[in-house]
Amino acid sequence: MKWLVYIAFIAISLAAPLVFPAYTQQFSALWVLIILAMTWDMQGGQMGYNSLGNIFFFGFGMYVSAVVQVSIAHDIGEYTYAGGINVFQFTDGQYFTGLVLGVAAAGILCALLAFPLGWILFGLRGPYFAIGTLGVAIAAGEMVGTWEWVGAGQGISMPPFPGNPDTAKFVLYIMNMITGMVCFAVIAWLYSTRFGLALNAIRDDEQKAEGMGLQTLWIKRVCWAVAAFFVGICGAIYGNTVGFIEPLEVAFQTIYLGIFMVVAVLLGGKGTLWGPVVGAIVFHTLKEVTWTHFLGWQWVALGVLIVVIVVYFQEGIMGWLQRQRPEWFGIRVESREPEAEAAT
Amino acid sequence: MSVITKFTTAAALGAALVSMPLSASAEEFITLGSAISLTGKYSTNGLHAQNGYDFAIKKINDAGGVDVGGTKYKLRVIYYDDESTPARGAQLAERLIAQDGVQYMLGPYSSGLTKAIAPVTEKYQIPMVEAEGASRSLFNKGYKYLFAVLSTSEQYLASAIDLAAGMAEREGKSPSDVKIAMAFENDPFSLDVRAGVADDAAKYGMQIVVDDKLPRDLSDMSATLTKVKALKPDLLVVSGHSKGAATAVRQIGEMGISVPMLAVTHCEAADVTGKFGDTANGILCSTQWAETLTYEDPFFGSAANYNEEFKAAYPEYADKKVPYQTAQASAAVWVFKDAFERAGTLDKEALRDAIAETDLMTFYGGIKFSAAGNNVAKPMVLRQIQDGIYNVVAPPEFASHELQWPRP
Repeated sequence: MKWLVYIAFIAISLAAPLVFPAYTQQFSALWVLIILAMTWDMQGGQMGYNSLGNIFFFGFGMYVSAVVQVSIAHDIGEYTYAGGINVFQFTDGQYFTGLVLGVAAAGILCALLAFPLGWILFGLRGPYFAIGTLGVAIAAGEMVGTWEWVGAGQGISMPPFPGNPDTAKFVLYIMNMITGMVCFAVIAWLYSTRFGLALNAIRDDEQKAEGMGLQTLWIKRVCWAVAAFFVGICGAIYGNTVGFIEPLEVAFQTIYLGIFMVVAVLLGGKGTLWGPVVGAIVFHTLKEVTWTHFLGWQWVALGVLIVVIVVYFQEGIMGWLQRQRPEWFGIRVESREPEAEAAT
Repeated sequence: MSVITKFTTAAALGAALVSMPLSASAEEFITLGSAISLTGKYSTNGLHAQNGYDFAIKKINDAGGVDVGGTKYKLRVIYYDDESTPARGAQLAERLIAQDGVQYMLGPYSSGLTKAIAPVTEKYQIPMVEAEGASRSLFNKGYKYLFAVLSTSEQYLASAIDLAAGMAEREGKSPSDVKIAMAFENDPFSLDVRAGVADDAAKYGMQIVVDDKLPRDLSDMSATLTKVKALKPDLLVVSGHSKGAATAVRQIGEMGISVPMLAVTHCEAADVTGKFGDTANGILCSTQWAETLTYEDPFFGSAANYNEEFKAAYPEYADKKVPYQTAQASAAVWVFKDAFERAGTLDKEALRDAIAETDLMTFYGGIKFSAAGNNVAKPMVLRQIQDGIYNVVAPPEFASHELQWPRP
């Protein structure tokens, strides 16, 4: 049964852009949200640390990959100079080498950066941690925004994908999909190990976890590094999908994706494996519909959605399912209410 | 339980709606697409631009539409709200082209959004005529399908620097004695204006005493103005779209800053005379277009005529200036009409070539594109607010009034 779900999920993911090629970009954006939601839930759901700054790695990865991709062929300072009149071109070889190196560098550097950052931030708890991480993301956006070498507020136009636009979208979709699936597999595996239990122990009572001999600071940092790795890669691919990156609204977009990932997790169900995935799918669909059919009212619709989730539906979709149908999640229930028995 | 039902229904409904693209009926309509800022920090100007598009489209449709190879077509536009963010803009451009089947694009508002959307239109080889993206960095990427009817941003305040140099000479000083304070919003447009000002200032050897980058969504620049108060520059330059202009004029009034020359972009769009009255006097405003200029074409008539007709159609502008953002948006629509009629076909490649060959005189000024896609046939003008009236003071060939110096 479990494997059937996985196979169906992979098949649908592969088939989606082939059956509805016009929507490939939307599916790509959906994967981005899924990856961000899954990695957010590692801290927010499983470990009990509500980070508002995961978007930092998204932007950092995006900029790392942009710098690598441009530098491979041109001087980045000249490329981004505001008054520049030179025309810059990339060969196919430069583009693809740049893309591979850029994405790899983004993932690795983000993961490495999570350690020193985590060393500072994981001393904070609760709302202090949330605001601390948010501060990192905002500060990073403002700093990159004044750094002329990477274009400051002008941003960077990414090298264009050589060839057919449909191929470009498909290639980037597949990159997103593979990142998402590997990310899911890694997370699912982590949750099945002692490491996953340690995360839950930290969430439930950090003092006790430490008292039992868990190296909590180390565990928290590893957890964040794993998330940062995937978020960085995801940001790098996203930069290439959008084609133009700039610090405040594309890279370190705290109030857009930075919040959407949290909403998606809350909607899908915090602290569950599938919750972030389901939440991201439902949220993305809702958003795409309301966003274009209530022009000008979309933010109101989003606000209402957040209020409804937080006030009436805290357990999320998967949390609700888990309560209604525990046997689907391998939870054995000794005695159930008679009418529920009759219904099944 | 009921909440869940609502969610699932909404989700199902959503899926159904998403999978139903708007089909563009090609029998009598030419469908243009545009992602425009209806919310967010650029919404004031996004709306000005949208009104400009809609005004021109209505006027063209009322006059019978566009004659393409003997068939009459009406124009229409699919709009989405890009929320003033580039990431959303790029996504919506993709959506317009891939899902809604749009073949011709009108530009968004601001250089930043245009920079985000141009790679998408270029990728799909969709001609885009844009009216609101002026940064030079748009025209050094080798784009073939991007055409801009407006002058590039380094020209916005070039005349102000020339005027400052002229005034220094009149006072018996050298232009290199001129001290400039600059405050620019940290966005692609303003930074390009800044690069232009810096180049011009370097040409005269002027000293730049303040060079501040201000945050987006500019609502406070008192820190910069405090420095200005202390350093007493000869010229203060501010650029930050409508919000920047409004904030600058408001705080200059509140803090009692006095500089002999003050040059600002986007005065009309921010309606500084209406909002701040006398405080706005003496400000130099760069403009792409002014209703007092003598440009003319057979369809819209003179610049003054456009101004009147637009105010009649949109009464909310009755006691405001019609901003140039609106005029150039209308001009962009006109470029499409002209190109469609010359191309004589709806084929986007032929249309692209026809647009590239555009050579028009319009109410908005001359329109002729360089190989890079920017308009090289129209200069910028500089107006000064004199007793609440915008009068053209530079460049000399367009000037109708003398510069008032120093600023009252």
